[in-house]
Amino acid sequence: MYNYELLEHTDTVNELLARYGVKFGIYKNNTFKEQLFPFDAIPRIIEKQEFAGLEAGLKQRVQALNLFLRDIYSDKKIVKDGVVPEDFIFASSGYMAECEGVIPPKEVCSHISGIDLVQGKDRQWYVLEDNLRVPSGASYPMIAREMCRRSSPSTFENTLLEDNRNYAQLLRRTMDYVNTGGHTVILTPGRYNAAYFEHSYLAEKTGAHLVSGAELKVKEDKLYYVGYDGRLERIGAVYRRISDEYLDPMNFNPESVIGIPHIYDVFRKGNVALINAPGNGVADDKGIYYFVPKMIRYYLDEEPILQNAPTYLPFYKKDMQYVRENFDRLVLKDVAEAGGYGVVFGEKMSKGQKEEFIRLLKREPRRFIAQEVIDFLDIDILDGKQTVPRKADLRAFVLMADEPLVWKSGLTRFSRNPDSFIVNSSQGGGFKDTWVLSQ
Amino acid sequence: MGIISVEQTVRLLWLGRYTERVYTTLRLYYSSYDTMIDEGKNEGENAYARFCQMIDIPDIYGSKEVFKEKYPFDEENPDSIFSNLNRAYDNAIMLREEIGSEALSYIQLAIYAMNKAKISRAPFIELQRVMDNILAFWGIADDNIDSEQTRNIIKTGKRIERLDLYARLGVGRKELYREICRLEPRVARSGIRYDAEKIKYMKELVEKPEIDYYKVVHEAETIL
Repeated sequence: MYNYELLEHTDTVNELLARYGVKFGIYKNNTFKEQLFPFDAIPRIIEKQEFAGLEAGLKQRVQALNLFLRDIYSDKKIVKDGVVPEDFIFASSGYMAECEGVIPPKEVCSHISGIDLVQGKDRQWYVLEDNLRVPSGASYPMIAREMCRRSSPSTFENTLLEDNRNYAQLLRRTMDYVNTGGHTVILTPGRYNAAYFEHSYLAEKTGAHLVSGAELKVKEDKLYYVGYDGRLERIGAVYRRISDEYLDPMNFNPESVIGIPHIYDVFRKGNVALINAPGNGVADDKGIYYFVPKMIRYYLDEEPILQNAPTYLPFYKKDMQYVRENFDRLVLKDVAEAGGYGVVFGEKMSKGQKEEFIRLLKREPRRFIAQEVIDFLDIDILDGKQTVPRKADLRAFVLMADEPLVWKSGLTRFSRNPDSFIVNSSQGGGFKDTWVLSQ
Repeated sequence: MGIISVEQTVRLLWLGRYTERVYTTLRLYYSSYDTMIDEGKNEGENAYARFCQMIDIPDIYGSKEVFKEKYPFDEENPDSIFSNLNRAYDNAIMLREEIGSEALSYIQLAIYAMNKAKISRAPFIELQRVMDNILAFWGIADDNIDSEQTRNIIKTGKRIERLDLYARLGVGRKELYREICRLEPRVARSGIRYDAEKIKYMKELVEKPEIDYYKVVHEAETIL
């Protein structure tokens, strides 16, 4: 069933990944540590036809989300027409009043979208989450593919699959499309960021310069890179890997020391592209997720191709009633949390904890969503010489250039714990390459 | 981009300096360690204390046994070889797109080799792999880095560090003069502002009957 030549070299591939610094950073007890991201050589394989369906659904979803973001920071028609309640916009921690009326270059808000999916045992794909701020993870399968091709060339000679190492070209095309004139840079908060490997690897592969905030400067409404001798070079696009609040101390968090003063003013005037645009958090809020199928119908007049996991909003009385009656079979998520944190399973709570949680739900109904626990399709991972089934998700990447581009691969994350549904790297998960067959 | 920022310049320079510091202090440690093997046969010798004195680091070790273990491997000690290697890594990790993943990987491999040597029952021989990886890093940096300016800044750091260490060690006139001559064209091509008079002055210092090594160290340290 499996290609043993490929699997035989798993340890060597992991050694090579360590050699090339494929790590992620994590803070534990106020100490920064770099951890290796364990790679499992058994790929997730998606048939060409199946991926074509996913691709169509992903493009549709990201187009609708982009239209939503443009609408929310301008006319708010979707609110006026009663499709999305205003409570879910203005109470969202991702909504930024500073973005009102600002039109990003080429009107693209979410240039790089990471859509998290799971496949149920019924083989149906469900969207679990949209990540429209600074989604990370594409670099891991890219470099893993490179190493696997070295470890088992015959596997790749004999398998017709899409080459995922083109992610850098897709990203470059996306960044160039919105560039307002000048160089493209990748802005990193520094090596202590969890995804620093990705920042530096994508800079190397796209040919963009990796910069910190101290290397950029705003002068007369334009953004510049400052050379050693004081010379200035114009910057036209910034793929920023810094969250909105730290991007510009003059417009957002005044305590930020990693941002660039007035960069947002340059963006507002259309003189630089910020990738992704600030303010996207309002659309990847877990509460807004519930409304994405409605957005697709509203903006595109189409039926959603991809399904959401069945979701309930305790904000609505009917849904609150359902949540209370079916508490044990639901998973509850705090909309303000990410990375697998703030997720609790009803069945795992004690009676007292449940009562306490329901009181909290009543007090803060907007803060939580409830979802049916999807019975994920297990996928095999290597455990020594054996294979064992584990839960896994798929982060698909959609890039918005002159047209929406779906990367024919994705980051498959899996839980190493047999009893866990949490696949995040920060919580001990590993990753796999995702093969999309080309025939 | 055709220009390079102050931050990148400083990182490249210190990457050159720390890799050279690891390389030269390792070589020196080898030779001192070798002397220590015979210590005790000749009363009054104290190779480790002389080593500390030579490279101008505080003698916090107390005995050659502690020195042999702590000087190469103690990451808490800022003077240790491991600490210097970590500082090289701190700079290299910020320069992946400038120096390339391939060059960076040799610094990473040097760290793995250092960790392996630290727990080995034969650490002395295992340290050879650290040196091999530093040499490989320099080789690939020379071969793979497209930007001449980037290469020249790293090498300027390396040359300054070597000159500094050699002067501290009080090496012979010929070797010291050679290092000044090697630094001169390199720093000129790096695009970094430097004081050309200091090169001239260092040459004069080395040509005097009695070399004032501390002055050479000072001039090397302040050339940029």
